[in-house]
Amino acid sequence: MSSVSFKDFRTSAARAIADVRLQSAIDGATLTFRTGRVKALADLPDVDGLRDQLKAIRSATLARLADHLEMFEQQARAAGSHVYWARDAAEANRFVLDIAQQHGAKLAVKSKSMATEEIHLNAELQNAGITPVETDLGEWIIQLAGEPPSHIIGPALHKTREQVAELFSREVGRTLPPDDIPMLTAEARRLLREQFLAADIGISGANIGVAETGSVVLVTNEGNGRLVTSAPPVHIAIMGIEKIAPTWDDAAVWLALLARSSTGQPMSCYTTAITGPARDGDPDGPREVYIVLLDNGRADLVGSDYDEILQCIRCGACLNACPVYQEVGGHSYGVPYSGPVGAVLMPLLYGLAENEALPHASSLCGACLDVCPARIDLPRLLLKLRAEEVREHMLTPQERLLENAVAFVLRHPRLYRALTGLGRIFQRPLARGGLLRLPRRLNPAGERQLPALAKRSFRSMWNEIKDGQL
Amino acid sequence: MITARDDILKRSKQRARAAGDHPPAWRSRRQFDDLSRRFVDSLAAVHGEACVVPSLEAAFARLGDLLAEIGAGRVVVNDEPPFSGVDMAARWPDIEWHVAGRSAGDLRAFCAAADVGLSSADAALAETGTLVVTSGPGRSRLVTLLVSVHIALVPVSRLTADLFTWTAGRSTPPPAMITLISGPSKTADIEQVMAIGVHGPKRFIVILYGDED
Ligand code: SF4
Repeated sequence: MSSVSFKDFRTSAARAIADVRLQSAIDGATLTFRTGRVKALADLPDVDGLRDQLKAIRSATLARLADHLEMFEQQARAAGSHVYWARDAAEANRFVLDIAQQHGAKLAVKSKSMATEEIHLNAELQNAGITPVETDLGEWIIQLAGEPPSHIIGPALHKTREQVAELFSREVGRTLPPDDIPMLTAEARRLLREQFLAADIGISGANIGVAETGSVVLVTNEGNGRLVTSAPPVHIAIMGIEKIAPTWDDAAVWLALLARSSTGQPMSCYTTAITGPARDGDPDGPREVYIVLLDNGRADLVGSDYDEILQCIRCGACLNACPVYQEVGGHSYGVPYSGPVGAVLMPLLYGLAENEALPHASSLCGACLDVCPARIDLPRLLLKLRAEEVREHMLTPQERLLENAVAFVLRHPRLYRALTGLGRIFQRPLARGGLLRLPRRLNPAGERQLPALAKRSFRSMWNEIKDGQL
Repeated sequence: MITARDDILKRSKQRARAAGDHPPAWRSRRQFDDLSRRFVDSLAAVHGEACVVPSLEAAFARLGDLLAEIGAGRVVVNDEPPFSGVDMAARWPDIEWHVAGRSAGDLRAFCAAADVGLSSADAALAETGTLVVTSGPGRSRLVTLLVSVHIALVPVSRLTADLFTWTAGRSTPPPAMITLISGPSKTADIEQVMAIGVHGPKRFIVILYGDED
């Protein structure tokens, strides 16, 4: 599946940093999201209490995840939904394909879903002769471009209007000017509307599964989540098993924080809860509703050192806050999850050795923890992953020797003083204006700056102050 | 062989931390002196439109003004109060009407080409300017979705403070579909520029009418 070595990460990060247009796109988008979030949360009474409540709900829910999942299944079935359990991507994809083929589906409309990105469903559908059409505007743009999403919330935020106009022009068969974004949106509405009305099945993810009623909750701004669950005769929802809210009261806490933390809206335009297929007398709605509960590594995290990451509600706030994400962009992390949450989740879902670079894609500044509505201690999780890497495989014998030597020196002050004294002499050829020029190998992007050792150490000055000599 | 279901349940249980009590439900911290005022202001802030009129008759009058202003030729309406039993075609004879679940012809095709869709709502959340619409007999999903303009007539007695007061007063079990609508359909997916009316209605108008003396 996904893998990101140090070399991969460095290469794509360096490319992203050198891309001026990409940098301004990321800066603009993350700044908008960040200021929006601050404003939206400021309007809430007792927002800290509400975040504590979300944290408490999420951790209590995960401690009894199996019970809540059973309740969800039972209630969803009682409402007439079919419920499937998938251990991994292959099982989930097979269920979806089986259902699609059973209904003779040729065209599937999809509303934005990170879970289907995670299992690479689109490729599987295509192989089986079923055309998947992404209907979230951002998702559709990157589908046309053949790219993965670069942000959990704004999948196409790396694309300029010129690039979008070019992609859409290809679809409509005439040249669309890039300067009129409402017109581009209107073209997308027209084209996707045809697909919605012609589609055989609708596929969605799930923001929340409410256990007490077996409902699947979808949050969108454009209305794609509503159309996918209203127009086609069959609706399939793919939901990570951790997305359970035991009650509607709990779901309300998620919803109160989700849009505010993510785009800075008080509520997203549409929050839809689907509880089974259309009932007798309903004028419209799907005749069949299928829910695929996706494990894909999550169950094994419950109770592990890392299970806090399962509390994530996928708001994207940690991406927007992260200084590393802001520089390297979403694609450097590999797909589908980027930013701090991705740096933790990808190694856990797809293997630490395969994604060795990701736990290091952080300055551990703590900005992500500050903004996370579920107060997930992402820096702690990143550090834990790093420690595990070091323990398991990462240090070469030379590095191990070096680390041990450094530890030894730091434990022996006299040796430390002697060596820094020598350093002051030997750094001379490398020092320029108080900074050290690092060898290329330690400074691949050429941006790192390390201060040179000061002429005199603080300790020696302190001794003089103490003795009244200064 | 162990089924995927049992395997997943077993693994999500075997190491699970000791479960404390589930936290008690969060209660709303909101106190609005004037729910309808807050509703109107909040909806306006997210590009929706709302007004308050004293009676149902005044609401229909306001609706008439809006239909004229929009130049509505095709209008689809949910078969629910306050519309059920009202002869819309007699009141607005120049408009082509479709009543969900009642009129002959394809509801979906009509909605896709309709200028206006009319509905009521189960609840209105003042804090965020949100309407709660549901499916049910006579209550179509597409009437409030495929049309260019969605107009809702909602009695002020359905106003409630926020999500938390709404879930606290919610009745079980839920209908097949509940949608919370907070403004017209929009996107900022192209360069963060806001564009209104992606898949859903381009205008979202709520007429709150007095129903209590
Ligand atoms: S880790 Fe927290 S901030 Fe990041 S996406 Fe998840 S909930 Fe949002």
